Amino acid sequence: MEERRSRGPADGGENESRERESSSSSFSSSDDLEPEWFDSVQKNGELFYLELSEGEEEALLPVNSPEAPSVNHVRFQENEAEVMPASQRKEGKKVEPTLKKLSRILKKPQKHVGKKGPTSILKQQSSPKTGGTVQQRYKDVCIYVNPNRLSSSGEGEPAELLQTLVGIIHQPSWSSRQQGRQGGQNGNLKYTNEEKLVVHGLVPGSSAIKSTQIIIGDALIAVNDVDVSSENIERVLSCIPGPMQVKLTFETPMVEAEISMKQKEKQVQSNMNNLARLLLGEDNSDLQLAIQEMPHIAMYLNLKLDSDTSKEEQEILYQYPISEASRKLKSVRGIFLTLCDMLHNVTGGHVISSSLIVSGKLVHVAYWKESDKLLLIGLPAEQVPLFQLKNMISDVARTLKVMYSSLDSAFCQVENVPRLDHFFSLLFQRALQPARFNPTASPSTQHYDACSALLLDSLLGVRWLAVPEDIKMEIDTALSDLEAADFAELSEDYFNMRRLYMMLGSCFFYKGYLISSHLPKDDLVDIALYCRHYCLLPLAAEQRIGQLVIWREVFPQCHRQPFGASGAEGYREPEARYFLLIVGLKYFMLPVLLEAGGCTAKAIGNPGPDCIYVDQVKATLLQLEGLDVTIEEQLGGPSSPCLSCVDWFLPSSRDKLESFTNTKIATFPTSKSALFMDASSSLRTRRPSPSRNSGGSDNGSEGPGDGAGLSPHSTPVLERKYGRRESQGSGDSEGSGGSGSLFKITKKRHTLPNPFNLGSLKKNLSEKETEELYNIIKLTSGSENTLFHYLSLETVQGIYICPTHKEVAQLSGSIHPQLIKNFHRCCLSIRSVFQQTLYEKKMNYLDADTSSELKKTDSGLGPVKEHGVLFECCPGNWTDQKKSPPKMTYWVVGRLFLEPQPQEFYVCFHDSVTEVAVELAFKLSYGIAL
Amino acid sequence: MEGLRLCLVCLTAGSGVPVYFRGRGVGRQLPFSVIGSLNGVHMFGHSQDVLLSSTCTENVRVLWKTFHDSISLIVISSEEDASDLYLHRLMDNVFHAMVLVIGLDELVNIKNVERLKKDLRACYPMIDSLLLASERIGDLVQCVDCVMAYDTPVLQECLDAFSRAAASDFGCLVAQGKVVVATEKWWRLAAQEVMLLTWLVASLAPHSSRDYPVYLPHGSPTIPHRLLTFQLVPGVHVCMLCGPTPSLHKVETELVEVFWKPLLEPVKACLRVQRRSFPASIPLHQGVLGLLLIKRDQNRLLFTVQAQSVEKPPRDGVELSLPERRSILRSFYTLAVTQYFSPERSDERTLPLLEEFQAGYSHRASECYIASSSHKCYGLQMEQCQLFLLFQPMVPTFSLRRIANETLRTFKDAPF
Repeated sequence: MEERRSRGPADGGENESRERESSSSSFSSSDDLEPEWFDSVQKNGELFYLELSEGEEEALLPVNSPEAPSVNHVRFQENEAEVMPASQRKEGKKVEPTLKKLSRILKKPQKHVGKKGPTSILKQQSSPKTGGTVQQRYKDVCIYVNPNRLSSSGEGEPAELLQTLVGIIHQPSWSSRQQGRQGGQNGNLKYTNEEKLVVHGLVPGSSAIKSTQIIIGDALIAVNDVDVSSENIERVLSCIPGPMQVKLTFETPMVEAEISMKQKEKQVQSNMNNLARLLLGEDNSDLQLAIQEMPHIAMYLNLKLDSDTSKEEQEILYQYPISEASRKLKSVRGIFLTLCDMLHNVTGGHVISSSLIVSGKLVHVAYWKESDKLLLIGLPAEQVPLFQLKNMISDVARTLKVMYSSLDSAFCQVENVPRLDHFFSLLFQRALQPARFNPTASPSTQHYDACSALLLDSLLGVRWLAVPEDIKMEIDTALSDLEAADFAELSEDYFNMRRLYMMLGSCFFYKGYLISSHLPKDDLVDIALYCRHYCLLPLAAEQRIGQLVIWREVFPQCHRQPFGASGAEGYREPEARYFLLIVGLKYFMLPVLLEAGGCTAKAIGNPGPDCIYVDQVKATLLQLEGLDVTIEEQLGGPSSPCLSCVDWFLPSSRDKLESFTNTKIATFPTSKSALFMDASSSLRTRRPSPSRNSGGSDNGSEGPGDGAGLSPHSTPVLERKYGRRESQGSGDSEGSGGSGSLFKITKKRHTLPNPFNLGSLKKNLSEKETEELYNIIKLTSGSENTLFHYLSLETVQGIYICPTHKEVAQLSGSIHPQLIKNFHRCCLSIRSVFQQTLYEKKMNYLDADTSSELKKTDSGLGPVKEHGVLFECCPGNWTDQKKSPPKMTYWVVGRLFLEPQPQEFYVCFHDSVTEVAVELAFKLSYGIAL
Repeated sequence: MEGLRLCLVCLTAGSGVPVYFRGRGVGRQLPFSVIGSLNGVHMFGHSQDVLLSSTCTENVRVLWKTFHDSISLIVISSEEDASDLYLHRLMDNVFHAMVLVIGLDELVNIKNVERLKKDLRACYPMIDSLLLASERIGDLVQCVDCVMAYDTPVLQECLDAFSRAAASDFGCLVAQGKVVVATEKWWRLAAQEVMLLTWLVASLAPHSSRDYPVYLPHGSPTIPHRLLTFQLVPGVHVCMLCGPTPSLHKVETELVEVFWKPLLEPVKACLRVQRRSFPASIPLHQGVLGLLLIKRDQNRLLFTVQAQSVEKPPRDGVELSLPERRSILRSFYTLAVTQYFSPERSDERTLPLLEEFQAGYSHRASECYIASSSHKCYGLQMEQCQLFLLFQPMVPTFSLRRIANETLRTFKDAPF
């Protein structure tokens, strides 16, 4: 067993090479074949290895030294002794240890602490007064290097590493000349025996040129604090083990315009990636600073205290953050302890929440009591409404239990403290400033994320994206193959021993959307919660993942229950241990749940990730990589129910007439309302985006099965539209007609303002008349698409469906973002009403055994099944003083289906939709899921 | 705690001495240790500059509130429909009822707790009536429950004349705790004052006439006014606020008879509309079970859960009882005003004791509805007017809005 695990795994993840490798070098442990993540495996076997894609890594550079690296590390030569601390180091030191040290340093993630920043800046400011001498100074530049790329590009000359790897061109002969000149200027230089590595040029497209901080004429003096010269540079660089960031220290003779430098750095900093910084647990003090004003805390308290030891704060087992923000809340922990204890004794119920006013702000504190310990989370009401906070704490408790089996084992072990700090810093960042989380995303995506987070983060489920059958099949097959685990190495007879793990199931994410899941709902939700807390899904939404490998022991909820409590009679959950393996590549993520100890070998100790399994999962991902085009198409296309932008319904005085003409054109006798029509047709099929339709030639690229079942009577437009995977018969013609017309309308809106009509109408009708006419027609026609947004939550599968980011981004407008924000906030409230219904139903169900079933509570709202709110909005910049701004009204309606399984459906649509359409839309929502 | 559905404890804020304890439901008083700890945590928070406002458990809500740093109220409720909004308003009402009866000075500068306890006994009837699940909703809405009588103009004219004769601007005709008519000045008092005065009149033991000193909590919390009440017929009182003159005897003997005797029939008729709160002549959709109409600008509301003048017998026995209807309308009102409708007045609170959920909306919510298996509700908000309707479940959801708008039109110009 042990040998097998330590066997050198193949690098990369290329299927063929892996197999070749494994057959030849099965038992030879060779260090150079270790995967990149191997060194990151922690003592307890856990692994969180995140390698960003190259572009991202480069963008992330300034992160390492948040206070503008080059400024920080500027040191002026005031006396010669201080000039070259590097050169003062013993030159006679053996090279080998240095290199070893280097490779050690290189492997460590870099942590710059720019403590010297302020003083050096002061010195720098005083520098102009010192006279016209050219000051010598040093700057550190972090760049990203990737030796793997090097090897793939062919047999580069070994002596050219500086050029090929870093991108710096150094010509030895030039250098000597130039150095001579420089030496004349700066006689204080002590480089005599080694040639200085002066930058003579930069390779286009290289990391060096991308950093924009390396300037021709700079001299490279150190790599990761290891002195370099032309003598040893190649050796030093060859020690770089894998893709990583290295710090290059340059000596620069010129005094640059500091300001431009700073500006540049600010720019880079502003678009750097907060999310990745948080995830990597790097210094995020500026992010912390932003939420410092808001009181927030997470505490784990001990309710049972030994009276003997009167240590200060002994009841606090864990607390985060340790800052001013949490001080007040921490100081009143006595309140929580007393209330939790006393109210439980008096009322017999657990304490759920408290509301306090701290520094003039309402703060909610949620309780989670388990045995004699108490978990508390406090957050300001303005950011986190109470209802959401209640969901949040139960999610946190569940996630922690999945990760550590119990809250006690999570909080009471010292080595977990930094992990929990990280966990809660992510949690608070997510809760308090969702908008700041994703600055690289486009504004609309960012907005959508930020305002949907409020609601979606409290759902126990994952965002689902329906893909065409054949794609789904392909993915499912690939996942099943993986789960079967009968490849050469994983099969039991290959090594003639029991396999290490059994794959319980896997699921497949693309850009944070669940495409396919082979997991039971509870396991899926557990994994989704883990991914949500570690922000893995938004991470994959941008292409950030070069490679992601996560491995940890997990304690899934449904497997954690005591024997006999779950499952059918006669079946027992095996006494097993469970491991979660998540492998991410580009936009894809593939979490796999592994079981050890059931029918497989028992896990001993804290096993780390097994290379074979990682590679298998990676291979599956690579196998599915080609699907990204197709899935992307699904993402980009209009959602199943086509959406409309609210701004189209608000006649600003300019386009009023235009929309009038359009609505006039768009009268269709069959379609009562587009909401219904659209739902009916699209719930079963997905269409490519309208913009693609105009091309008409893209059918060929869409994989097998194209154009299989064209409906014979559809119009050419529809043929293109439904050509892909249309399988309905003639029954759908009306629906298609409806959406087809829709498509025309929207297109016309954008492209065909009818100048003739516009002019004549303007002549003939006064403005008021026009408006009246417009209103009449608008009210009667009703053929416009009036659906603005929707969300469907399926509790059986643990998934939810809502419009994709791309769709939302397409519906740009000034009011629409507000509507989306409103929708989510309103849904939160509607959902809280539904939760109450579900809770009461559960209670009734429990009570049914003991008391009469007809016992009804004579209070409260009762079992609410449907709840709707009507909102009014006006265009933001209404300048016409004479008239009141036009009003647009829209509904946000939620409906709860209790049978057969709880399911929630929320829609946002225009006021004019008829009741029949709404009713049908709800009915059809049954078909939306799968 | 068994059997006790709602209880209210009043303590002195500084020393934590219990002043009184009132409760709803049957049950004994909470043990002193519990009250002590509840007060203790609140005081501890206060010392740490943290104001503990509320706590809820699976079945109980506890709220704390301190007034003028001298009186603390703690309310503990195990009722499901007791929202934070209601309990906050309840505590507010209770404190201001105390002010109304004994004046602010005595409550702020407590010299002798025993004396205060004795004085506050006078408030008990009123506090109990506030705690009691009453047929009125003014305590929650902070407006005055009104009744739309048959002969409102006549009664109004008579009341105005009566008040003028008594040299008072503040006159009001109350029928079983609901205002029938009142003078213009009366309506200009703070909404809470008008509500509490009505509540006070209803809670006092029946007397044919009464001269009662009241401190208006917002208008004159330290200087008492005289509240004169005269019973016209059992259940109907005419009240007036006045200064040192005229004397009770003078008004009773000289004015009441003269002005009100001729109007005995219309006054008696006020009691007949009591159940529905408005005359049967006003048409209402068949499906409407209950109605709550609030005219915010006038501090008035119309509330009924027996909206049909003649109610058909329930068909399948799943009819909602009257307390259920009241509870549903109260809950629905609470839901709408805490989650959707923009707050009625912003000057009310200085500290954000309640979560202002609706502040997060970017657009104004104007209407909302719920549908459940046993009932449906519809609420809408106009500029100064809010209407909440309770429907039978068989009324189709899509027609709720139309009915609500029609109802609103019906009552638009109705005098109440």
